[in-house]
Amino acid sequence: MMEFLNFYLFPGILLGCIYALGAIGISLTFGILRFSNFAHGDTMVLGVYITLSFVWLTDLHPLVVMPLAMALTAFAMLGMDRAFFKPFRKSPPIMSVIASFGLMLMIRSAVQFFWGTQIQAMVKGIQPPLQWLQPLMLREKQLYILGGTVILMVAMHLLLTRTKIGKAMRAVSDNPDLAALTGINTERVVQATWILGASLAVAAGVFLALDTQVETNMGFKMLLPMFAAAILGGIGKPYGAVLGGMVIGIVEEVSAYPWIGTTPLLNPGYKAGVAFAIMVLMLIWRPQGLLRGRQF
Amino acid sequence: MKKFLATAAVAGLAAAPALADDIKIGSVAGATGPIAELVAPILAGRNLAAEHVNAQGGLLGGNNMVLILADSQCDPKAGVDAGQKVVSVEQVVAVIGASCSGATNGMVQSVTIPAGIMSISDSATAPSITDLKDNDLVFRTAPSDAYQGAALAKLAWDAGYRKLAVTYSNDDYNAGIAEVFAASFQELGGEITANQLHEPNKASYRAEITTLSAGGPEGLALFAYYGGSGITIIRNSLETGAFGKFLAADGMFDASVIETIGAENLVGNLMITQSASDPENASYQLFAELYADSGFDPAAPYAAHGYDAAFLVALAIQKAGSADPALLPAALRDVANAPGEIIRPGEWEKAVALLAEGKDINYEGASGPVDFDAAGDVAGFYSVNTVGDDGQYVMDYIR
Repeated sequence: MMEFLNFYLFPGILLGCIYALGAIGISLTFGILRFSNFAHGDTMVLGVYITLSFVWLTDLHPLVVMPLAMALTAFAMLGMDRAFFKPFRKSPPIMSVIASFGLMLMIRSAVQFFWGTQIQAMVKGIQPPLQWLQPLMLREKQLYILGGTVILMVAMHLLLTRTKIGKAMRAVSDNPDLAALTGINTERVVQATWILGASLAVAAGVFLALDTQVETNMGFKMLLPMFAAAILGGIGKPYGAVLGGMVIGIVEEVSAYPWIGTTPLLNPGYKAGVAFAIMVLMLIWRPQGLLRGRQF
Repeated sequence: MKKFLATAAVAGLAAAPALADDIKIGSVAGATGPIAELVAPILAGRNLAAEHVNAQGGLLGGNNMVLILADSQCDPKAGVDAGQKVVSVEQVVAVIGASCSGATNGMVQSVTIPAGIMSISDSATAPSITDLKDNDLVFRTAPSDAYQGAALAKLAWDAGYRKLAVTYSNDDYNAGIAEVFAASFQELGGEITANQLHEPNKASYRAEITTLSAGGPEGLALFAYYGGSGITIIRNSLETGAFGKFLAADGMFDASVIETIGAENLVGNLMITQSASDPENASYQLFAELYADSGFDPAAPYAAHGYDAAFLVALAIQKAGSADPALLPAALRDVANAPGEIIRPGEWEKAVALLAEGKDINYEGASGPVDFDAAGDVAGFYSVNTVGDDGQYVMDYIR
């Protein structure tokens, strides 16, 4: 039992937190701007490298400098929106999709140019599990990830339900024409979407870097599970993205558990396929996703 | 009349002597991706060879040897794209690369073999490349892992390991060497408690590792690229306490393993074999001196092999007397294998002079004698690397 919790369920939840934070941005962009943003993973990478630079400069813990990196990345994202996405706002969505694909390659190449392609460590060395939690094996950094995710989720929830801009975002996501008719400033909603999506992506990236390491391809590696999470949860539904991320993270890890006998139920080499199998089944049986998102 | 003019123009072009022209050679490598750090010194080796050729008179009496770089990202799909770029767009006469075995397999099968272009890889080591139906077009200066896997198994056995778990990344190189390793280790009398592939590029391997650790293995034989899954697996293993000792091959040989995991966790616990150059070899010593300006360590994995691959392509073109791709494979065997007067790294002028006199030459490379067998493979020489107290790798040669 303890083995299942420590080595299969908790790692799955941690992975789920990271997927969930990343998937929110994808889901919102899809809901509000109506296109799949392939540059999302590399927005994450940009934020991680900015955080890393601050860590090098100040020697502070990555989580302390993360808010600054989130702000800078969100600011950069607003600039990129102006340059690459705004001209296509009235065009068919495929134009924006292609633009985002180009932007993805540009961001990654820029990061590789300025920071190099070497693998870096956000936090060096190995952390032992915390003693006071025995027999649960959780490390300090994992508590940070869990706690950080909860805080960000609550903040997002408050933003979407209690503030005017949050309500406007949900309105545009539900019905853009109606929202525009009621006098909602769509351009401001778009900006808020980029800021929220980019900030959460940076958090996901920094959490991932705390758990693993920093590399220029980390965003691209995360892109597919994040998309799967967004679709699973229901496109345009931030809470759905959270749920979808959790489901995919947990299923990926738990599928390797030896449920029957002593060998893994599924060869772990194929666990990436699990996320997609779930996604495909979902698209067939319930295309609106877990939380009744938009259908395409 | 029009047609006549056109024909004449084409004929004129074909007959024009190739004076001080560029001769393009593809240089396909995983410049980005999971082994980017390993590729930089290899590219420096290739480029150095081209510099030597161009500084000492060039190819075929004054033509520039130009290496056209294309990024294979250590990925089969990207390898095919990179091959297409250099072969179809740039019209190269031969290709060096691609770096990783998967990328190389993809590139040669989809691009260079169908196009009749010779390729020499300087770091693709998968045993599967030996058996390709390649019309004698695929060569490599990197030895097949059929040797390295066995060498690592022997080392593990001699170091006292009797029960090991094996995991390998789902790609040509790692699957190939894991298979050889497991078979060799069992032949020696060792027990493989689990042998499981894993998907690279995942954020966590805790579940896989826990499953692998069943059955009481004394260590983990980890076949992966450090940037794909290797570092994450070592980190997750140490964190969960599933494994403390690791055996690995050259896909893991990078300083970032020590930097990210911390030397204190790896001293005495990590053993990495690597295809090395014999430091007592006169050719290697010559190369090391010439390579020093590049800013990289001449003992970096496959840097010497990269130099040899590029230098051999140049020698083959010179020997063939033209840059016709069809003539190159035979010419390559001629200049690389005995008999003939020995040519060492940097000795381009000497080689050109000997060839002009009609003499046979035998290139003795920085990485070894580079005598190609029937499959286009060379024999291997290996080192074993452990982590020293100062946080650097300590290299011993396996003789």
